[in-house]
Amino acid sequence: MPEILNLRRPGGELASRPLHFIWAVDCSGSMDGEKIGTVNYAIQSVLPEMRQVAAENPHAQMLIRTLQFATGASWVTTDAVPVEDFAWDDLKAKGLTDMGKAFELLSEQLTIPPMSDRALPPVLVLLSDGQPTDDYKKSLQKLLSMPWGKKAVRIAISIGKDANDDVLAEFTGNKELVLQANNAAVLVDMIKWASTEVPKTVAAPPSKPREEEEDFPDPVMGRSSTGSVQRPDTGSGQGSVGKQKTPINVPPVPAPEDIDAGDVW
Amino acid sequence: MLRKTCARRVQGASHIRSGQPCQDGYMYMEYPDGTTILAVADGHGSKSCPFSGTGARVAVSVFCSVVGKLLDNFAGHPDLLMAYLNREGEIKIAQEIDREWKRRILKIHTESRDQESAQAVCRLYGTTLLGLLLTPQFLFAFQIGDGDIVQIDAAGAAPVIEAEKFLGTQTNSLCAADAWKKAVTVLHRFEEEETSPVLYLLSTDGFSNSHVSDASFGQTCREYYDTILEYGFDAVAASLKGWLAQTSELGCGDDITVALACFCPETACAENPPSPNAFSLVT
Repeated sequence: MPEILNLRRPGGELASRPLHFIWAVDCSGSMDGEKIGTVNYAIQSVLPEMRQVAAENPHAQMLIRTLQFATGASWVTTDAVPVEDFAWDDLKAKGLTDMGKAFELLSEQLTIPPMSDRALPPVLVLLSDGQPTDDYKKSLQKLLSMPWGKKAVRIAISIGKDANDDVLAEFTGNKELVLQANNAAVLVDMIKWASTEVPKTVAAPPSKPREEEEDFPDPVMGRSSTGSVQRPDTGSGQGSVGKQKTPINVPPVPAPEDIDAGDVW
Repeated sequence: MLRKTCARRVQGASHIRSGQPCQDGYMYMEYPDGTTILAVADGHGSKSCPFSGTGARVAVSVFCSVVGKLLDNFAGHPDLLMAYLNREGEIKIAQEIDREWKRRILKIHTESRDQESAQAVCRLYGTTLLGLLLTPQFLFAFQIGDGDIVQIDAAGAAPVIEAEKFLGTQTNSLCAADAWKKAVTVLHRFEEEETSPVLYLLSTDGFSNSHVSDASFGQTCREYYDTILEYGFDAVAASLKGWLAQTSELGCGDDITVALACFCPETACAENPPSPNAFSLVT
């Protein structure tokens, strides 16, 4: 029998896989008042739960960034910040809806580098209550042509009745992932779902045969300990679209009293 | 040539937390002349592939069986075998591995479960496959899906084969229709007799994914080699499982399987013995 030595593990630096999570928030003038206030409140209040998700998934390093767009677009957080250290700066709303500029900034960040090829699929959450005031098509096309742009889990939250759902669906690539938020309570729920359930699923992904993803072009295919990613409950009449072929299991429509409807925007 | 071979697999740290079993497989075969076959496979583990652990174990068995038969058929004619692998590796051999894996899967499945369409059944067992045939004259590497086959020597670590890789969690798979078309093979003739020890390392993607970068992964490969030379292969084999568990815990949390084959020229070992227990002569 060979002698059993207590050898130190050989090797280079180990690390969990980065999971980039980006909020892209419409800060145009129409968001002023209750809408932007609700966004600020919801994201602020969901941070402890996001930290909990990160703690329960130690093999993914959740990194957060915020991007705002109005007249122009800019990063609120210059660099990706570990969720443990992330603090939300309240956003203010004023100006136009230069969504195309936001797509340009996202594209710049989804190249390799600064992204790593060993990262988990990034999660992009776009919140908007209007329609683009700039030429967004070219920059969206560029975003969706980037390797990590294609692979990103892209969710949109459509705020109020004036949001352009067709544009948001172009961004997500799947109408099922355009979530309707017609009042403050639902908006809070949507933000909470996108910020916790989606990263939870992406953080512990099994590998998948490639043809499987070709059948379902949408990237949200992962499995969590509780099953597939599911859209949040939106209340009767709040659902975004009808049934489509999608990897996401749409849950049964809940009883309307599950969500305190409040005033409709 | 002195040879040592081993393989270990560990349940991923995240799989331990979620109660998922290890879905990797490995197998190796050693022949008296130093010829060695190694294979590792990584069952996908996704919801649509609930039997991928079985798929992985079948895959490594198929590789060893198909390549083992070729060794029998071309016994005593390594040049002919090399020419055959060079000509047919990416087509006939890949087709045979693909066909035989699916045949065995369908046999296993229909013995125990209801009849379903063949393609749908194979998907339930989806897996990658990495295989390596090492002979005194040449090496033949085969890969469908992600993972790494690396050669490490005194000059450093270098990939033996460059398989198609995808961002995120996608991988090519044996369960795909015409999976053989995604097979990548490499045949390499050893031009000169090795003068220093050589280590071959096959690993499922959980190993490289646990490193911060390709450079860090290469450093790990090189340090495994150095540790073998310093403390001996058997000491590394005895510690390997613990190291892999630690790697998964500190890294991506995935299952990890590593197969190692180390060759040391007798002259090199005699002049600069790695350690008293590093190698034993294959008889």
